[in-house]
Amino acid sequence: MDGAGKGTVTPLASLFPVEEAQNAAKRVQDAIAEKDKELDRLRGFIADNNNLINLVQKLPEELHHDIMVPFGKAAFFPGRLIHTNEFLVLLGEGYYADRTSKQTIEILRRRGKSLESQVNSLEAIIKDHRAEASFFSATASEAAEGLVEIREDYVEENSVKQEFESGPLKQDVSGFAGAEKEITSADDEEFTRMMSRLDELEEQELAAERGNHGDENEGTMSDFDVASYQGPIDDNLPNSEDIQRTVDLKQTNDVTTKFPEEHKYQDDIADYFGSLALQSQVGESSEGKTMPKNLKNSDASEKSTIYPERKTVQAGNSSKAEVQYQASRPSFDSQKASTSSIGGHADHTQGTSRIENSTASQVGRQTSEPSFDSRKAFTGSIIEHAENLQKTSREQNSTSSLVSGSQPSKPVSRFKMQRK
Amino acid sequence: MTSSAALRDAQRDLENKANDLSKLQKDIAKNHQVRKKYTIQLGENELVLKELDLLREGANVYKLIGPVLVKQDLAEANANVRKRIEYISAELKRLDATLQDLEEKQNSKKETILKLQQRIQSLQAGKGKA
Repeated sequence: MDGAGKGTVTPLASLFPVEEAQNAAKRVQDAIAEKDKELDRLRGFIADNNNLINLVQKLPEELHHDIMVPFGKAAFFPGRLIHTNEFLVLLGEGYYADRTSKQTIEILRRRGKSLESQVNSLEAIIKDHRAEASFFSATASEAAEGLVEIREDYVEENSVKQEFESGPLKQDVSGFAGAEKEITSADDEEFTRMMSRLDELEEQELAAERGNHGDENEGTMSDFDVASYQGPIDDNLPNSEDIQRTVDLKQTNDVTTKFPEEHKYQDDIADYFGSLALQSQVGESSEGKTMPKNLKNSDASEKSTIYPERKTVQAGNSSKAEVQYQASRPSFDSQKASTSSIGGHADHTQGTSRIENSTASQVGRQTSEPSFDSRKAFTGSIIEHAENLQKTSREQNSTSSLVSGSQPSKPVSRFKMQRK
Repeated sequence: MTSSAALRDAQRDLENKANDLSKLQKDIAKNHQVRKKYTIQLGENELVLKELDLLREGANVYKLIGPVLVKQDLAEANANVRKRIEYISAELKRLDATLQDLEEKQNSKKETILKLQQRIQSLQAGKGKA
């Protein structure tokens, strides 16, 4: 409510000079009077038309009528009206036609209809004029009274909006931070940081496309999304499946929240993309395998894939973070599965097919290492401990992955993308 | 002195231009009127055509030529009315074109007058200073 500072006070009289307003009002009223006259004329026509219709209807009732025939200007003489059913009707433009009374009535009715439509349009015009006139007279009276127009500069609401956004975000972040602590370890933090950086880079790119207009907004928006996801994280902790998914999504989001303003890792993002795409695809392919173990994870991965576009980057980031994080830990089985897909990260379709193949090949291998491990790897921590997870229960997988921290993993040979 | 002569010249010029403008405006008004008339006639003719179409074959049609009511053939009457409609539409189009023309001329005249006025003002201001 502080924006009252700059404002302009202009007396209405200056904007709409009294005299001018009055003149305008008068002019409009004259126009209205004219139209009113036209309206009366038309109404008269319609009345005449109706009378005529009645007359024409009555005439044929008799074979002939006895009437007083006008003769010149001032005389009549008695006569008969015969051929009572024949009418010579004026069609217009000097054209007449022989018609019976019924046909004549039809003609007259049609004429009446056109007249009525004219009347309606005229009435509409008059209404508009009347509105105009009332407006003019109102302004004239206001100006005469000395009413004043006040204008104030519009204080941008952006600051308010930002505050608002940052407010809830902060709350979420704090809540999320708490959740994170439970889940994440130092590694995770790094991972999330990476992811956030990737997200920021992505946003930068998007902003560049749009002219860098919505950078902040995007950041805030993404943060918002992350915040929204935070809730489930805590809840899903105990559930590996859920965790996988929520962690994926949320961690990626969290990362963004943490680093809303850094856009420096485009390369990383690209890598993440690949890894992410792969992982997501792996999940899908794993499902195709219909492996019970995989099924669960695949679900998680599916979910991660559900947001292919949005989360690809994030997931990519996450995966990338994982990769970076695991510099020493090359891809695990899951990653191996994804490696094949990584090669095709550019094309999801290709990746999927490849993943399927890879997963198929790896299925046997991975009996203990379902593809979903890669899913878990998704979230970074998961990937790392994919192997561990496989051995332990699913539930433990996520937690162990989270907690255990770095663990030597199999060589990254297959995982081309991961190396930094 | 030269400035005052120039000023007078400019003012005379302004008067001429103003006259031209008023003439143009009158032309435009006339154009509007004729257009209105033609539009009404066009409407009437279309109505007649509709009625003629509704007439049964062999019905008598008469045309009022002055004080004489002349019997006409239905087909002939139809053809005549149609030709009249075409003629009126062509006239309307022609009038529209001339109206456009006139309006453009009017606008350009207004602009020149405006410029002239500005010149005069500047001249007067110059004279006043000097």
